[in-house]
Amino acid sequence: MSKSVQSLATGLVYALGEKPIFKPGDAIRILDRSPIGHYRVPIYLRGKVGKVETVIEPVAVDNEEEGFGRNAGSRRHYYRVAVPMSEIWPDYVGSPRDGLYIEVYETWLEKIAG
Amino acid sequence: MSEHTHHDHDHPHAEISQSERPGFYDIMETAIRELLIEKKLFGADEIRHQIELLDSRTPALGAKVVARAWIDPAFKSRLLANGRTACEELGISFYDDTQLIVLENTEKVHNLIVCTLCSCYPRPVLGLPPDWYKLKPYRSRAVTEPRAVLTEFGTHIPDDVEVRVSDSTAMVRYLVLPMRPKGTDSYDEEQLAALITRDAMIGVIPVSLQTGRTAQ
Amino acid sequence: MTQTEKLVKRLPNDIGGLPGDPIQRIEHELEPWEKRCHALADVLDYHKIINTEEKRCGVEALGAEMVGKLSYYERWIVAFANILFRKGILTPTELALKTKEIEARWAHEHPDGHEHR
Repeated sequence: MSKSVQSLATGLVYALGEKPIFKPGDAIRILDRSPIGHYRVPIYLRGKVGKVETVIEPVAVDNEEEGFGRNAGSRRHYYRVAVPMSEIWPDYVGSPRDGLYIEVYETWLEKIAG
Repeated sequence: MSEHTHHDHDHPHAEISQSERPGFYDIMETAIRELLIEKKLFGADEIRHQIELLDSRTPALGAKVVARAWIDPAFKSRLLANGRTACEELGISFYDDTQLIVLENTEKVHNLIVCTLCSCYPRPVLGLPPDWYKLKPYRSRAVTEPRAVLTEFGTHIPDDVEVRVSDSTAMVRYLVLPMRPKGTDSYDEEQLAALITRDAMIGVIPVSLQTGRTAQ
Repeated sequence: MTQTEKLVKRLPNDIGGLPGDPIQRIEHELEPWEKRCHALADVLDYHKIINTEEKRCGVEALGAEMVGKLSYYERWIVAFANILFRKGILTPTELALKTKEIEARWAHEHPDGHEHR
């Protein structure tokens, strides 16, 4: 980055959620909470541990809010997350490398050591 | 049968459906549409236009994209980096404002796509999904036993190949980029596209020389 | 956990991982009303009257029995009706009266016709 572009960027404040919290390769856990009424994280993945594969751009509205007509306001990132099949299903039949990939909204993830 | 003395028509008298009243849900659709048009929330022409749009989106579009990726490595690279913009290069617009991630099948990785929660599907580039994709057996089992599901489609994936199941939930849609079959070195883009089926782009079957788009 | 707690916590469409039958490669050519219904969904989305996620939420809200018994586009059109009522765009009475009008219109145009089975 050239010096003039750098100096333009210093002191810049970003909107909440504008910068991704997670990056590719981060070990994450899909949170375990039980919303009723509407959700987009299937029960079979709650509490499962995986890795961030891709940060999906651009930031977007939470689709769980969008379901109730709230399609404006704060935006965060979705992440394409990889979860080993063996992590989800104790009796999984297949290769140990087989994986499940799913988009998850930032508010459903936490970073874990790994 | 009624007498047809008061108007001309050329359909056979055996068409019972002509005198069968539209069903409950058919009438509901008509009623809702007519009311909303009366209230000027949208025009009748918009519905007609959208039907034409839907009819124009078929697996032939996806087949074009895949065939182009097979013969043009630079296009393939752009396709894998951003599925939507690469499709837009070929004139395929994304009217539903979704994004596209193209998943490449290789000797080491086999991809298939599913939407366990509903029926998310790359409609702009493949058209509307088949019933089986939207029904319980595929949606419930693709994520628990993908290899058994693939076997039911006649597809056997060796143990040393990684199976990746992508479950759509938000605004990203997926398209599988199947492997190019052997023996197609002399094929031109059109000939290649004719081999590529919808089910290969969902990832449940491979592309082979035996099956063309006439056999989905 | 009680039985009903499970019923409330799991949306009727959340079926990933549940036991499933062998896959039958069923497909059908959309009936004209189904295609119109799909077009309606898209036009409602374009106009920000009902967005796609609201539609999904509306289908979920039909509950397990209806989700299990209605076909794909049947679920959509009933969900649209419910959402439009909730938003005050249509009332149940308006829809009921328009329905009767359409039925009467059809009967007038098809004097020898019969009910859909």
